[in-house]
Amino acid sequence: MNKTLRCTLIAAVAVASAGAVAQDAYVIGVSAAMTGPAAGSYAPAVEAMKAYLEHVNGRGGINGKQVKLIVLDDSAEPSKAAANATRLLTQEKVVLLLNSSLSSTYAPMVAEAKRANVPLFFAGAVCPKDTYPPADAMLFCSTAFGANFDSQAALGFVKDNAKGPVRIGFAAMAIPIARAEIDYAEGLSRTLGMTPVDKEISPPPTPDYTPFATKLKEADPNWVYSWSPWVSQVRTFEALRRLGWTGRYITWAHLNAEEELTRVKDGEFYVIGTNAFFQDEPPMAAEIRAVAVRANLKYPVTYLTEGFIAGLVIEAALRNTPWPATPAKLLAAMNNLKVDLKGLRGGPLEWTKDNHFRTKQYYRVWRWDAGKQQVVRVQDWRAIDVKR
Amino acid sequence: MQLVVNIVVLASIYALIACGYVLIYRVSRVLNLAHGELMMLGAYGLFATASLFAGYPLAAIVAAALLALAVGGVVYWTLMHRMMGEAVLAAVLATIALGILLRGAMVLVWGAQERHPLQVLGVANASFAIGDARISSVGLTLVAATTAVYVGLYAFLRYTVWGVRMRAAGQNPLLAAQRGIRLHATYALAWGLATFTGGLAGMLIASESALDQTMVVIGLKAFPAALVGGLDSLAGALVGALIVAAAEVLLIHYVDPLLADVAPFLMLLAMLMLRPWGLFGTREQLDRV
Amino acid sequence: MPHASGYFRTGYERDLALLDTRTQKVALTVFASALLAFPWVGAPFLLDLANQVLLASIGAVALMLLTGYAGQVSLGHAGLLAAGAFTAGILFKEFGAPFWITLPAAALVGAAIGVVFGLPSLRLRGLYLAVSTLALHFIVIYAGSEYETRRGFSTGVVIQPPGLSTGFGDWVLSGARSWYFVLLAFATMTLLFSLNLLRSNTGRAWRAIQGREAAAEAMGVNVSAYKVLAFVISSTMTAVAGCLFAYYRGFVSAEAFSLFLTIQYVAMVIIGGLGSLLGAVLGAVFVTLFPYAIEWLMTVVPTPADWSNSLFALNYAAFGLVMVLFLVFEPKGLVGIWQRIRNYFLLWPFKQKPLSGPR
Repeated sequence: MNKTLRCTLIAAVAVASAGAVAQDAYVIGVSAAMTGPAAGSYAPAVEAMKAYLEHVNGRGGINGKQVKLIVLDDSAEPSKAAANATRLLTQEKVVLLLNSSLSSTYAPMVAEAKRANVPLFFAGAVCPKDTYPPADAMLFCSTAFGANFDSQAALGFVKDNAKGPVRIGFAAMAIPIARAEIDYAEGLSRTLGMTPVDKEISPPPTPDYTPFATKLKEADPNWVYSWSPWVSQVRTFEALRRLGWTGRYITWAHLNAEEELTRVKDGEFYVIGTNAFFQDEPPMAAEIRAVAVRANLKYPVTYLTEGFIAGLVIEAALRNTPWPATPAKLLAAMNNLKVDLKGLRGGPLEWTKDNHFRTKQYYRVWRWDAGKQQVVRVQDWRAIDVKR
Repeated sequence: MQLVVNIVVLASIYALIACGYVLIYRVSRVLNLAHGELMMLGAYGLFATASLFAGYPLAAIVAAALLALAVGGVVYWTLMHRMMGEAVLAAVLATIALGILLRGAMVLVWGAQERHPLQVLGVANASFAIGDARISSVGLTLVAATTAVYVGLYAFLRYTVWGVRMRAAGQNPLLAAQRGIRLHATYALAWGLATFTGGLAGMLIASESALDQTMVVIGLKAFPAALVGGLDSLAGALVGALIVAAAEVLLIHYVDPLLADVAPFLMLLAMLMLRPWGLFGTREQLDRV
Repeated sequence: MPHASGYFRTGYERDLALLDTRTQKVALTVFASALLAFPWVGAPFLLDLANQVLLASIGAVALMLLTGYAGQVSLGHAGLLAAGAFTAGILFKEFGAPFWITLPAAALVGAAIGVVFGLPSLRLRGLYLAVSTLALHFIVIYAGSEYETRRGFSTGVVIQPPGLSTGFGDWVLSGARSWYFVLLAFATMTLLFSLNLLRSNTGRAWRAIQGREAAAEAMGVNVSAYKVLAFVISSTMTAVAGCLFAYYRGFVSAEAFSLFLTIQYVAMVIIGGLGSLLGAVLGAVFVTLFPYAIEWLMTVVPTPADWSNSLFALNYAAFGLVMVLFLVFEPKGLVGIWQRIRNYFLLWPFKQKPLSGPR
């Protein structure tokens, strides 16, 4: 009894609130890891995206319509993500579904999105391989990092900057996606003429990285490459340095990389990434700062680039979607899209029918310069073609 | 040599965390599964006082440690006090619930971002050479703190009035109460001390690496150390921590780093099968017909 | 169930019946028809919620048998769910096994793990037992994630929805509505099985063990056998729930079975009220719907704008708070509240008619 009563109550409210929503808005739904252990890497992107879209609304919206962004938390739990997707699709009738969460939430959301024929856009979350050419019809991705391409770019940088033969070590966190990528990188390093010497996989919560670093150091690499969540990347490096290792370390530039470089202050700690640093003063920097202040975001502005890129992509896609918006029209727009990212990346983000990742991926490399006491760029945009 | 240093540092981490489990269990027979969260709260306490006493790291650390002590007492008087006399399971569940509450509250207050208390304090984590091995200054502090805590606790339990009362309350609460020992005050003190040591561990771990949401799991990983040694023995916790740490470090080095995650729990399981009361624990009376 | 109602049973048949009075029968019929009518009334989102509740109640009933009746503490519930789900996932991926093979297989694996979980209970009790089941949880999850990584299913193992190809054409179980009926059937069967089990020898032996092991042994109860049996039955049911979960969501992933899931199940049992099957179901309803209720409350009650970003953490904290409040103020759980309300109305002055005419 209790349950039915409760359900009817919720139903009544749901109907009432659905009626209250003005129908002249583009409705977009997000399921994101806003709490839980992984929240630190996803919440800033989602909040930045939300702030940007509110900013767009303030300017008069898109095609004269407002954008309504509904954010639901899934704490990186698959079952919650599935429930969120169902709710966003059936109750809120979203034209676009977004995922900003751990890869464990992908499968249920993909299933729900496909059932409803609504495009699913990964923003801030690892791009699934299905968005690479030949792309899955419904899945899109704008997130900075892309498996395989990142390792190609990073190892390419190592090859170009190495003086003499490269003995390379690898470090990763024990999560499936990072382990797969580091295995790929190990294979790749051989084809590039390097000598892979050791590979250390550390479990996610590790009180002390020294034991892993000790083994890595004993293999005596002159370069180490790591592609993992930031904790694992930087902790392994710090532990290596404390053990007296003097080699060079290259790793992926996550949201907090710019802030972290100034904390770590090590000249041989390189980060490679596709999103511009604020240090580089991209044309949009002032706008991001202004929006962040207005929305009262609690994260440093350097964390927000990823979310703004997702916001720009959504804006462009919706602009090409004639009113009244339907998932099918939006899908058509997304299948042929070129977004000017205003300097936040090396070039425009381009989606084609065949490629829902991007046609070109641009990489920059940064490090800390002790002489100048600031972060410096050591390699400017270098493009890698994304082909099948 | 480096391996030995690694084992000692990891063992210190585990031992410092584990003594919190042991203190509470020994005195009140309650397993505190919110220990990880209380550790994290201690670390956030340091983060908060660090910005308050910017430039005076020592003052900040002392303030944070006292704060942790007080938090433990408050937890006892507001929550665990009411669970006394209930089934043990209910008390353990209350600690789990407290953990969830604290975790949510900490995200509410400090956000999900990674924090670096050491950076706020303005202290660098340098490293020193010991023979051909190296140890970080925080690692060294950790070993020193663990030694100090264990020596201090030993002296406290052995030679002070409150220590003797605490042992008495742990051995037989009824008799202790009849001798005029105020049980609630003793329990509150045990909770305070446990949170204090846990908070200390949290602060040091946060200084060595960083302060984020995974600290809770680290708190849980130290639990096997307490159990292997015997849940009601401080010396046992120390030995247990050494054994678990050694197993973990050696497995990482010689077998497979992936095993580091399950190794403590495998050891725990083996221990439970062979000697459930642990290496140094008192054998609990099993009622038989 | 004799209440403070002045109703007494008059024959063995009445004593054996699950439903005593006409009121109970009517109430159940109304409730059952409401449940059956629900899929045609509720929105798809509500239907998904209902399915979650049904899945949770299977798991909660299983845990209630173990903890609430046999008195054995388990913190390995999520591990058992994972075991069932992975059995289904692995059999499907490696051998393409259909639903009618994976489900019994999951049950078998559950039973086997139940023996493993149960063996420590012969030596350990209380806290130590809880800890050993916790350790087993980590080992099951480790094995599952190793399988995922080794086989390259980094975003989880995807399972096709169960289907039958008969002579009349293919039929695939998909969509929230069909799932609702399947899950409802499973939940009802679990509940009926448990109800009857608890009225049998086994149930009485479990309660004796829960009361006091030594006394139970003295009365001739084979304590070790019944303890292991409790683990086996509970694990089997849980593994089946895990298998259903895998098919319902269409995928299996080690990350879906965190320690928090175990805590949620334990919370269901506690909040519902230990030692009551109704409690398990009520607890499942409460715990599953709680986060959505808080979220809804936030949209109704006006809150400061910058709270919306922290709302999620608030949700988490509120869950812990509710659990604490239940433990401190209502150890009997929702069932305790329900019974108090019922007795309050049963004892309403002059409500009951005297048994015979006026004296």
